[in-house]
Amino acid sequence: MTEIKNMTKGTTVTDWAAYTRQMEAVLGLELDDARRQEVLVQFSRIAQMAEPLMALPLDSRLEIAGVYRA
Amino acid sequence: MKSCEDLTISQLHHALQSGDVSASEIASATLDNIEKSDPTLNAFTHVTRDRMLCEAAKIDRLRASGGTLPPLAAIPYAVKNLLDVTGEVTLAGASLNSSNPVAKTDAWTVSRLASQGAMLSGMLNMDAYAYGFTTENSHYGVTRNPRDISRIAGGSSGGSAAAVAAGLVHFTLGSDTNGSIRVPSSLSGILGLKPTFGRISRSGSQPFVASLDHIGPMARCAADLSQVYDAMQGTDPHDAFQADKPTTETFSRLTRGQQGLRAAVLGGYFSTWCDEDAKAAVQQVAKALEAQQEVEMPQAELARSAAFVITASEGGNQYLPLLRTIPGQFEPLSRERLLAGAMIPAAWYVQAQRFRHQFQQQVLTLFEHWDILIAPSTPCSATLIGQDIIRINDTDLPTRASMGMLTQPISFLGLPVVSVPIITASGLPIGLQLIAPPWREDLCLRAAWALEQQGLVKVFTSPVTA
Repeated sequence: MTEIKNMTKGTTVTDWAAYTRQMEAVLGLELDDARRQEVLVQFSRIAQMAEPLMALPLDSRLEIAGVYRA
Repeated sequence: MKSCEDLTISQLHHALQSGDVSASEIASATLDNIEKSDPTLNAFTHVTRDRMLCEAAKIDRLRASGGTLPPLAAIPYAVKNLLDVTGEVTLAGASLNSSNPVAKTDAWTVSRLASQGAMLSGMLNMDAYAYGFTTENSHYGVTRNPRDISRIAGGSSGGSAAAVAAGLVHFTLGSDTNGSIRVPSSLSGILGLKPTFGRISRSGSQPFVASLDHIGPMARCAADLSQVYDAMQGTDPHDAFQADKPTTETFSRLTRGQQGLRAAVLGGYFSTWCDEDAKAAVQQVAKALEAQQEVEMPQAELARSAAFVITASEGGNQYLPLLRTIPGQFEPLSRERLLAGAMIPAAWYVQAQRFRHQFQQQVLTLFEHWDILIAPSTPCSATLIGQDIIRINDTDLPTRASMGMLTQPISFLGLPVVSVPIITASGLPIGLQLIAPPWREDLCLRAAWALEQQGLVKVFTSPVTA
């Protein structure tokens, strides 16, 4: 697989094509080229949003804001 | 007597009680208006004619027998087509649901409204799966904005907003995951209430993003919004996401208005990502609510990103099985967006959920000083149907994803909000969010009511005929 952008260190690689191709196989999807390209566009948009979020240091004791109650 | 659609819920209730009008007359007039207007508007996906006439006859029998009329007796309403209605198929804007079995019972909220005497006229159009802000639905058509039918009504509860703005019903129910009540309320020029996350039961609704979904009412005035909201409060033991909080009646508190309310304007992200019309509307509302200070909501942009990641991930997972088996039946405008969401690494999703907790702790301190925070509901007024790009802050943004960029951080926090419409210089409305602390829906409804008393917020119906 080609380089994947390191979301924790914010370095520069941007080959989401390889990642989405691999996820396509993992999730058992069958896409044609047009759909694959659109998935890449959409995933790249999400990745751009996620980058500053993943760069944010969170307190190690900070838990998720969940609502599960046993 | 004014026509029914020009009366508030209380006024119509009074007219019914005094015998000026019957429930059956109201129902027939409502159904006639829908028949005339909806071919142009496309707000309804289904009209529940038989049910409405049945509910009307029941109210008329009750009145004839001298029984006490419930608070919402004979009030016409409609619901976003993601809430279950007995005997009907719940579409959630998606044709792939059209062959599902019919609902066996009403959604919890619909059942509450029925028990209060309200009359259901139909089910309303929306963005497919509630994923979008424009109600441009490839299978069920675009819903047109009654204020200007060449423009979008907003979404995803676009049918809910258009039906109220056109005067077809007194109120509607919508759902709001990232802004889907507030955005169409803004663009269609009506009021919408997104209650606190966990306040109103979601039982019997098609989920989209369990971590963010809310149900709420849309109407033409604060008093109507408040009465409907009060009718929908209550404990539902079957909704695991409902919070264990006592109900807070709002209607009797409305007339306190802005008395004692400390209001401030949200600056930074919220004043950067909107146009001049929105900024002018903020100034008008700030003046009316005596908000002299601008405050920052730190990390609001990150909150929007986190809401985006959670939405994409949960929404993608929700539809993954069908994306595998029947991709051809999906809405083409969101199919690959859903797929991309299903591919999100778990680390991003968990980070977003942990950040939600941190963001909440930061923002709640603002309410030690303020009762109402003011921000635009949308970056701009309604765009033309099919317009893919909006230009805000010298940046081209995709319309479908960006109309909710100012609502997303607020629903991510789960705060209660009323969106109130202000008419801009262009003549089109734009909504302002009146944001209150958790569980204080009464405060944002009081602020909305105060703006009506000052004449700043005044909603007229825009009848549409074929």
